[in-house]
Amino acid sequence: MDLDVLVVATVARALAFATPLLWAALGEVIAERSGVVNLGVEGMMALGAVTGFAVAFVTGDVWLGLGAAALAGMAGSLLHAVVAITLRADAYVSGLSLTILGLGLSALVGRAWVGRPLLNPMRTVDVPVLSDLPLLGPMLFQGQHLLTYAALVAALVAWVLMFHTRGGLVLRSVGENPAAVDAAGLPVRRTRYAAVLIGGLLAGVGGGYLSLAYRPSWGEGMVNGLGWIALALAIFSMWHPLRVVVAGLLFGACFTLAFRLQTVFPPELLTLLPYVFTVLALVFTALSRGRRAFGAPEALGRPYLRGER
Amino acid sequence: MSARPTPPLGPMPIAPRDGPATPACPPAAGPHPTRAAVRRAATLEETRMPNLTRLALALALVLSAGLGLAQRSLEDLKIAFLYVGPVGDYGFSYAHDLGRRALVEHFPGLETTFIESVPEAEVEPFVDQLVADGHNVIIGTSFGFGDGLLAAAERYPDVIFGHATGVERSRNVFTFMADFWQVYYLNGLMAGALTETGTIGYVAAFPIPEVKRHINAFAIGASEVNPDAVVEVRWLYAWFDPAGAQEATQALMGEGADVFAFTEDTPTVIQVAATRGFPSFSHYASMLPFSPETVVSGHLVNWDAILIDVVEKILDGTYVAGNLADVDYFWGLGHDAVEVGAEPGMVINPLFEERLGGAVIDHPELGAISVTDLIMLRLEQMSVLPPAFEPFTGPLRDRRGNLVYAEGESATIDELLGMEWAAENVRGPWDGEP
Repeated sequence: MDLDVLVVATVARALAFATPLLWAALGEVIAERSGVVNLGVEGMMALGAVTGFAVAFVTGDVWLGLGAAALAGMAGSLLHAVVAITLRADAYVSGLSLTILGLGLSALVGRAWVGRPLLNPMRTVDVPVLSDLPLLGPMLFQGQHLLTYAALVAALVAWVLMFHTRGGLVLRSVGENPAAVDAAGLPVRRTRYAAVLIGGLLAGVGGGYLSLAYRPSWGEGMVNGLGWIALALAIFSMWHPLRVVVAGLLFGACFTLAFRLQTVFPPELLTLLPYVFTVLALVFTALSRGRRAFGAPEALGRPYLRGER
Repeated sequence: MSARPTPPLGPMPIAPRDGPATPACPPAAGPHPTRAAVRRAATLEETRMPNLTRLALALALVLSAGLGLAQRSLEDLKIAFLYVGPVGDYGFSYAHDLGRRALVEHFPGLETTFIESVPEAEVEPFVDQLVADGHNVIIGTSFGFGDGLLAAAERYPDVIFGHATGVERSRNVFTFMADFWQVYYLNGLMAGALTETGTIGYVAAFPIPEVKRHINAFAIGASEVNPDAVVEVRWLYAWFDPAGAQEATQALMGEGADVFAFTEDTPTVIQVAATRGFPSFSHYASMLPFSPETVVSGHLVNWDAILIDVVEKILDGTYVAGNLADVDYFWGLGHDAVEVGAEPGMVINPLFEERLGGAVIDHPELGAISVTDLIMLRLEQMSVLPPAFEPFTGPLRDRRGNLVYAEGESATIDELLGMEWAAENVRGPWDGEP
């Protein structure tokens, strides 16, 4: 295979593979920016995948299915929000429980749909005009699902909202110093709730992509660890929506190259790389603490109670 | 999905069929298989037992009692099945449960129980419970149950144990396996005729002898019809990895593959190939519904063929706890333990009959013959006992040029079980290649 063909194919497949990661990781970035870590991504994606499939199967409408997937992910995150924000329980334990609950529940309700094909799954489309661009067209704008293009747009929107609006400033401030936000008379809890719920919604969409587009079917365990990769992605991107896209493409490229280069390169090494990157990112983050540009949200994982230090 | 047979021959580590829901990342958050649920399955069947059958059974009992065999009656048997995955996995455990249900249908009144999602390390406590409940035949269907079953068998010398896909036996533990090698060969004949680019894509789980045997049988079939066809293999290193199967198939398309087969536990390859209209072969369960227009054929398992034989021999006293050390089933087409087809009874999808029937090849032994005729001939030859045709028959070389079987030689069952070499037209990485 020629090098340019390989590069184009790799980027295109990396993007397809990374789509659910992008949705879920964007959601996690938003939630964590507000200071609430949610380890339930895997569970929320599973809930989204099974609900989306079931609704699409029964109604015959994939877009209705996608809506249901988003709501299912959101419902899962609501549980986490209540436990971690209102009840101020340990967010890490709560998130893990959500993952276990989501996987178990999705397996249970999904029984009836195992091994059944979706007759009208999402189809791939080309983006008009942009798909004709040399190189970039076939890389990013041809033969992907609508949700893939939408993920790129969503990252852009999240970046604008997060860094160029007042609401985004409040969101980030809540994650850095909730006491100061509270003192300024702004709603800490409500902001955190909103961030966690949006996070769940996006994770649900990611799950829906899996069962409605990427591999239109339902099978127990079909999320298969993607939720955990999304968590790693949120960290690796250093909580930045645009870097999520870059990091997602990098993770995706490693994954797809593991198969393309299997004949010449040990696949284990390539599939390992994303995690090596993540560990490096964590180390880098830890070392650069104090230099605000790279650090994690200061109040990440810490419940907020007025008057408590 | 469960532990496939992974005979401990060769250098590859044993690759257990993990439950489908095992996350790839932090092990701390692994979803535990749902608490295994014991279900009674036979109460209804019991009431349906026709009087005639009872009479016949009683008669048979009296007759053979006269012969002095250790007779057992159907009412006396309580059979329990231990599955490694959920019966809803649409794969390995699902197929085993179909076998159990067919067994009950064959022996109305037979009492059976199953426990699903049994963790491989915890098989012994489940056996304890089942024996306490009065079960006297216990069948485990995952390779990883082996140690637990053998240990339990020592503690319960009067209970008969069966181990599907297992390799170690004892006085009261027998092993059984329904294998697809002949069926993969038949699928290979079809694939060789259907490929236009000459490259056939194969997505495989683990480089273990079982999977290598299937790839080789498939590749040998393809080359018999199309000497230029190559089988390009990509490995998932997992039984269940839908995203991996998707990207592996895409990678194979990039290599020019236009016909697809696989040995892993999802219908992903079929779905991905279908997006470009490429033919594929289904694996284990009937996956025809996932793409009725592109699934050519496939391989189906009938575990009940073996189970019925076992129960018959327990009833007539041939098998007792104590004489099972040499009871090992390795059954294929000849015993109807496996079947070729996209769904039961459909050897070739009618949509492909014209292409395969119209493809006439010049066969070195048979002369001019259509591919369909060749498939049917081979199917017939392998469906008799002993089989009149063995796919692994010399002269056969591996892809490194070593002669594996000389003219007239054929693979023995032990050689099939321990296969590590790669057929001449197989491409791609191959761990543990001799």
